[in-house]
Amino acid sequence: MIPLSNFLVLSALLFAIGFYGVLARRSAILILISVELMLAAVAINFIAFATYRDPKAFTGLVFALFVITVAAAEVGLALGIVLRLFRERRSANVDEASSLKW
Amino acid sequence: MDQAWILPAIPAAIFIVVALIGRYLPRQGDFLVILGGLTLVAIVFSMFPGFQAAFHEGHFAPGTTNVYSFDWVNIGQGFFIIPFSTYVDGITMVMLPVVTIVALMVMIYSVSYMHGEPRYFWYYAVLSLFVAAMLTLVIAGNLIQLYLAWEGVGLASFLLIGFYWERQSAAEAAKKAFITTRIGDVGLLIGIIMLWRSTGSFDIQTIIAAAKAGAFDHTYLTVAMIFLFCGAIGKSAQFPLHVWLPDAMEGPTPVSALIHAATMVVAGVYLVARFSPVYAEVLIARDVILYIGLITAVMAASMGLVASDIKRVLAYSTVSQLGFMFVALGTGAVTAAMFHLLTHAFFKALLFLGSGSVIHATHQQEVEHLGGLRKKMPWTTATFVIGSPALAGVPIFAGFWSKDEILAATLEDAPIWAYVMLAGTAILTAIYSTRVVLLTFFGEPKDHHAYDHAHESPWLILGPLVLLATLATVAGFLALDQVGQSLGFVGGIGQIVFLEHAHEFTHPEWLLASIATLGALAGIGTGIAFWHGDARRAVAAREWAPDLHALLVNRYYMDKLYQGIIDRVILGFAGVVAWFDKRIVNETGVDGGAQTIGYLGYRLKFLQTGRIPNYALGMAVGLVAIIVIAFGSQG
Repeated sequence: MIPLSNFLVLSALLFAIGFYGVLARRSAILILISVELMLAAVAINFIAFATYRDPKAFTGLVFALFVITVAAAEVGLALGIVLRLFRERRSANVDEASSLKW
Repeated sequence: MDQAWILPAIPAAIFIVVALIGRYLPRQGDFLVILGGLTLVAIVFSMFPGFQAAFHEGHFAPGTTNVYSFDWVNIGQGFFIIPFSTYVDGITMVMLPVVTIVALMVMIYSVSYMHGEPRYFWYYAVLSLFVAAMLTLVIAGNLIQLYLAWEGVGLASFLLIGFYWERQSAAEAAKKAFITTRIGDVGLLIGIIMLWRSTGSFDIQTIIAAAKAGAFDHTYLTVAMIFLFCGAIGKSAQFPLHVWLPDAMEGPTPVSALIHAATMVVAGVYLVARFSPVYAEVLIARDVILYIGLITAVMAASMGLVASDIKRVLAYSTVSQLGFMFVALGTGAVTAAMFHLLTHAFFKALLFLGSGSVIHATHQQEVEHLGGLRKKMPWTTATFVIGSPALAGVPIFAGFWSKDEILAATLEDAPIWAYVMLAGTAILTAIYSTRVVLLTFFGEPKDHHAYDHAHESPWLILGPLVLLATLATVAGFLALDQVGQSLGFVGGIGQIVFLEHAHEFTHPEWLLASIATLGALAGIGTGIAFWHGDARRAVAAREWAPDLHALLVNRYYMDKLYQGIIDRVILGFAGVVAWFDKRIVNETGVDGGAQTIGYLGYRLKFLQTGRIPNYALGMAVGLVAIIVIAFGSQG
């Protein structure tokens, strides 16, 4: 069997990349994609643990299902906001959307 | 006797009614107050048979209890109890007729005197309040009740002195009265607390019994009783807190008669008399009382000699006579003091109300504007001429009997020079009272406008005068056992009010009485010689010693002294406190606190950049911190 640690490292790397993306991207859409990446990494983590503890049970798989559902809902909402923002400013640049400041 | 609490309850209820709705009642409610006064006199007189019977059975010797009480405040299972209790004995039975009779006279008199004055209903309401408080004071069985009533009469006095508060001098006088007596009251409170700490009780008879049994440390008790006397110094206008009483004449004249002659100012005498068994144990305190009384008597009589306002002369006279009472108490002669209280109340109230009659008729108070009124106001003159020798101590009249008793006690139990000073003061009393009578009623009128305006006063004013004059004439005979027995008592006043043993009194001591009479007559003669006609001799005397005259007119400069102390010490201290409040509490604390937070906000607001990646970074940093702390501490 492939060692568990491989999957964990994979998920960690994916999470880190996604994390970096959220912090460092200018486009709103790309930030959302990075969030998706983080969620995917989390899902992989769950499934890996579940499978390695007890191959017959599918607790982790169920959890992954939940994650996907939540991700879908959240992106729906987020895209709604981004679309609104785009219509107002003709640009999805988050750096420019800083009017709620001191 | 058990329902003695009803006595203050009636005027208290009337006060509430008249104060709240008196404005709308017909005649503004004065009849209600008078009705209350009549009821009180009736109740007091109905108490006498029971009192006499109890005395015949021996119930009213000092030390017996006669108390009706329930606990009003009870903290800590009996550690701190404020009861409501009443105590009626010989001393009380002297005070009750005095208070109720003079109060009734004043109430009737005021119908005419205060007619048409603004706030008429309020005058009667506070009069009722005063009577309620005074009655509570004289039947109080415990010190807290007494203190409350003490403050109550002070309040009524303040309200009535300042009745014409539109006049600046009246408002100032009311403030002065209240603040000066308050200073004495602090001493009283300290004394009460000291007594409570030793005995655990506020009950007066308990404290007296404890003192007689020797339960107190001697020095402690002396100090406590001196503090108690401080309250009397304030309330009874003794030196050095006498300064408020002359100014209190700003109030309406009936008020001066009731409060500042007959009743409130004698509260101090009553207090000391009540505690006389305790004062007998601490003779140093009693000596203090004697000497302060003596100083006061002499000082006040000297100031009364030069005062130009009739009411002021009577005010100084009151202070002086109160001094006499305290001298008597200082020698342990409770009977003499209470007897003088009784007679003084009658003749002083008479004199005040008489002066009120003059003021009402001429709208003048200064003696310079009066004179020759006997032709225009015969009744007033007659009653005043009865009150004056009563004050001076001429035989037959009431003052002679009581003053003689005091002088006798002083001769027995005080240093001989004290007797001489007191006898001298008695002569001074005769002089100044004659002076007032001559300058007001005899001689030629000095202000013709006032003289023409003068007319005899209506019967509502004259009636009380006549009654008080009668009392001033006959009340003195109460000292005699024969008179007392014929009234149903065990004997004269010496058998009712006493400290250790009852006095028998069938005839005055002729030698002493003769000396006193000669002194009084000499005083009157001097008065006539000096102020007769155009008062040439008096004017000459004034020019012969102008500095002495100035000293007396300026009240020994004590008012200036006190004002100086207030201006420099008290207001100076107030300035310091005000500075502290303004600079430190307000600017540094309150304003500074607000400014600090404002400044912090001003600096920290730049965290709100509005940029999403910044916020995301913030969240990330926070998350990392939580993880580190949570898992690091598990470490």
